[in-house]
Amino acid sequence: MNLMIKIAWRNIMRHRGKSLVIGVILFVGAFLMTIGNGVISGMDRGLQKNIVNSFTGDIVLVSEKQESDEVFIEMMGKTVEPINNFKQVDSLLKTVDDLQKWVPIGKNGALVLNEEGGAPGFTFLIGVDFERYQKVFPNTMKAVEGRLFNPGEHGVLVPTGARKQMFEVSNIWFIPEGCGVDTTSMFKEAKEMRSNLVSKQSIVFMGMGADNTSTDIRLGIKGIVRYNALNQIWGHFGIVDIESYRNCIGYIAAADKASLVLSDADKKLLGGEDTDLDNLFSVDGMITENVFAPPRSSTKTSTAPKAATGPSLADAIQTDLDDGTYNLVLVLLNDHSKLDEKVKAVNQRLKASGVGVRAVPWKKAIGAIGSMAVLIKSALFVFVMFLFFVAIIIIVNTLSMAALERTSEIGMMRAVGARKGFISTMFFGETAILSFFFGGLGIVTGYVTVRVLALCKFTSDNDMVQLLFGGDTFHPLLSGGDILLAVIQLTIVTLIAVIYPMQVARSITPLDAIARE
Amino acid sequence: MNIIEIRNLKKNYALGKTTVYALRGIDLAIEKGDLISIVGPSGSGKTTLLNVIGCIDNATEGSVKVSDREITKLNDRQITDMRLHHIGFIFQTFNLIPVLNALENVEFPLLLMKKQSKNEIRKRAEKLIDEVGLRDYLKHRPAELSGGQRQRVAIARALVTNPDIVLADEPTANLDSVTGEQILNLMKDMNRIEQTTFIFSTHDANVLKYANSVVKIRDGLIVKEA
Repeated sequence: MNLMIKIAWRNIMRHRGKSLVIGVILFVGAFLMTIGNGVISGMDRGLQKNIVNSFTGDIVLVSEKQESDEVFIEMMGKTVEPINNFKQVDSLLKTVDDLQKWVPIGKNGALVLNEEGGAPGFTFLIGVDFERYQKVFPNTMKAVEGRLFNPGEHGVLVPTGARKQMFEVSNIWFIPEGCGVDTTSMFKEAKEMRSNLVSKQSIVFMGMGADNTSTDIRLGIKGIVRYNALNQIWGHFGIVDIESYRNCIGYIAAADKASLVLSDADKKLLGGEDTDLDNLFSVDGMITENVFAPPRSSTKTSTAPKAATGPSLADAIQTDLDDGTYNLVLVLLNDHSKLDEKVKAVNQRLKASGVGVRAVPWKKAIGAIGSMAVLIKSALFVFVMFLFFVAIIIIVNTLSMAALERTSEIGMMRAVGARKGFISTMFFGETAILSFFFGGLGIVTGYVTVRVLALCKFTSDNDMVQLLFGGDTFHPLLSGGDILLAVIQLTIVTLIAVIYPMQVARSITPLDAIARE
Repeated sequence: MNIIEIRNLKKNYALGKTTVYALRGIDLAIEKGDLISIVGPSGSGKTTLLNVIGCIDNATEGSVKVSDREITKLNDRQITDMRLHHIGFIFQTFNLIPVLNALENVEFPLLLMKKQSKNEIRKRAEKLIDEVGLRDYLKHRPAELSGGQRQRVAIARALVTNPDIVLADEPTANLDSVTGEQILNLMKDMNRIEQTTFIFSTHDANVLKYANSVVKIRDGLIVKEA
C-alpha cells in the first residue's frame, strides 16, 4: 500500500498541470455541491418554519366531502367543505400519539364589496378563535398599523398584501379603526392619490358559501398585519374572528346553536303579534353589523349584553365556539419527519370512527405553493446533480487521457508483474488523494461560504425567491448531516469518475507499451 | 535440462484485411543457465519470439513451455504471476518507472511479490545495484541517469527476483558502442554470477561474441542454431 501511495503521490506531483485541472474541478464541484446542500437544507428548514409552523401545520384535516386536497389556495373559486363536528374530531385527535397541538379554522373566499360603487374585490378569509390560533401558531404576524385582536374580539386583520390588492381593485385605502392614514406604509400608487384618497376603517365582506347562502357583513379593521415570513403569499389571507366568518359564509355559528336556549326577550319576540314581525326580521340595513357578543374563548362563557346597541340574538346565551362550523383542522406534529406515517395513522383513526373527516399532508393542502417549493427544491437538486455530471465527464476525460499517456509506464509495470488490481488501486489512489485534498477544501470553503451567506441575511419580497429562501430571509444552513451528504456526494463523484479511466488503465498491456515505443 | 521448450510456434497478426505471419513454426529448446542470442534482420520475428516466451504476447498455435509450465494455456493472472516470478525483462528503451528512483525501481518487483521483509528487499536491491555499478546513483530518478545507467538499473531489476530467464530485446540498440559493450559484458557477468538464463535479441553481428549460442531467425523461421 505504501508503494502505491508513493507512486500515486509522485505521479500527482509529476503531472501537476493535469492534477491541478482535476483538483480545481473537484474543488468547484464540492464547493457548489456544499452550497447547494446548504441552500436546500435552509429552504427545507425555512419552509418548515414559515409554512408548516406558521400557517398550515403538518397535517390538514378536511371534510370527506372535500374533493380537492388543495384547500388553501383554490384557484377555481370552489368553496372548502365544512366540518360540523369538530368536537368529535377533537376527541379523536387526543387519542393519536405524537400530535403536538391543533387548531380548527374556517377558510373560504369572500368578495370585498365596494361601497363606492365599483367592482368588488376578492380575498381569502381565515376564521379563527385568535387566542387559540396564536397558541398553535405564535408570532407568525405583527401589526404594522393598529393592533392584533384582543381576546374574543370581532373584526378583521387585513394583511398588507390584501390591502394592496383591495386598493388596486377599489381605490379604497383600508386603515384600522381609530387610526389615521399612515403614509409611510403606503405604496407608490396610493401616495399619488393621497389628496383624494378614500379611506375606510371597516370592510364589507360577502361570503361565498357552497349553497349560495351568504351574508354581507361589515367588520371593523383592528389592524393591518404583516406575516413574519412569506408575507407576499400569506398576505392574501385576511384573519377574521370565527363567529363573524361563519356568519359571513352562512355557516352555523356557535351562537346559533346556543340560541336554542332562548331568553325571555327572544321568546317574547317570537311569540308576539303579527305587528311584531317587523321587529323580528328587520335589520338596520341590508348589511349585518357586527352583532356578536364580546370576548369568548373556545370554552363556555357567558356573554354580556351590548349596552350601546341593545340586546341582540347572541347576547346572554351560553356559547361554545366548537359547536359551530369549521372548514379545516391544522395539526402540528411533535416530529415533522414522521409526516407520512402520521397522516396514515390519523386517516386510519378518522376512517374507523366515521367522523367524515380525512387527513391531508401540508404540501398537498397548500397546493401550488407546496408544489412550487418542491419544484424549486427539485431544480436545485437537479442543478447539483448537473454539477455532478459535468464534473464526472471532465474528470473521466482528463483521467482517461492521463491513463493513455502513461501507457509505457503502466505497460512496463504489467510486464514486470503488476496485476490489473495494482494498476486499478494505483489509479484510484491518485484520484482519491486529489479528491480528498481538493474536494475536502471545496467542502470546507463551501461551509464557510454558507455561514457567511447566512450572516448576510439577504432578504427578498419576491414570492419565488421567498420560496427559494424558505422565507423572506436567505438563511442557508449546513448541518452535520449535510456535510456528510457532501462527503458522500464527493465520494460518489470520485468513484464514478474513476471507473472508466481505471478500466482504460487496466486494459493496457505490456504489448501496448512496446508497440508505443 | 531445458528451461524453455518451444514446438511448432506460430504467431499471426491481423493487419486490416491481411494477415502477417510473424512466426511460422518455431521449434526451440534452451537450457538453463545458457546465454543465447537471437539474431536476424528487422521484421524477422525476433521480438515476437521474445514476447511470446516472456508471456507478453500470446501464441496463435503451438506449444511454449517455460520452467515446465505450458504458458499458452494460462489466464491473465497466471501469466502476470509467471512474468513476476520466473521472467525478467530488459527492454530496448530502458523502461523504468519515472517517479521511482534507481533503488525503488529495482525493489519494485520484490514489493509486488510480497515475500520478503522490507529490509530483505532493500538489501537484495542494494546488492544488485552494487553489482551493476550504480552504488552512487541509488537515489537518482531515471531522468537523472544516462542511457547506459538506466539500462544497468533495468538489468538489476530484471535479476532482483532471481528469475529463471532474463529476456533482453535489443538491449544495446539505443546505446553508444562503448556503453553497449559494457552492458553486454555486464549481462555475461550476471549470467555467470547469478546462473540465470539470458536470451537477448540483436541484429548487430558484433554482439554475437558475447553469446554462448546463437539462434538465427528469418521470416519467422529458425534458419540456424549454433
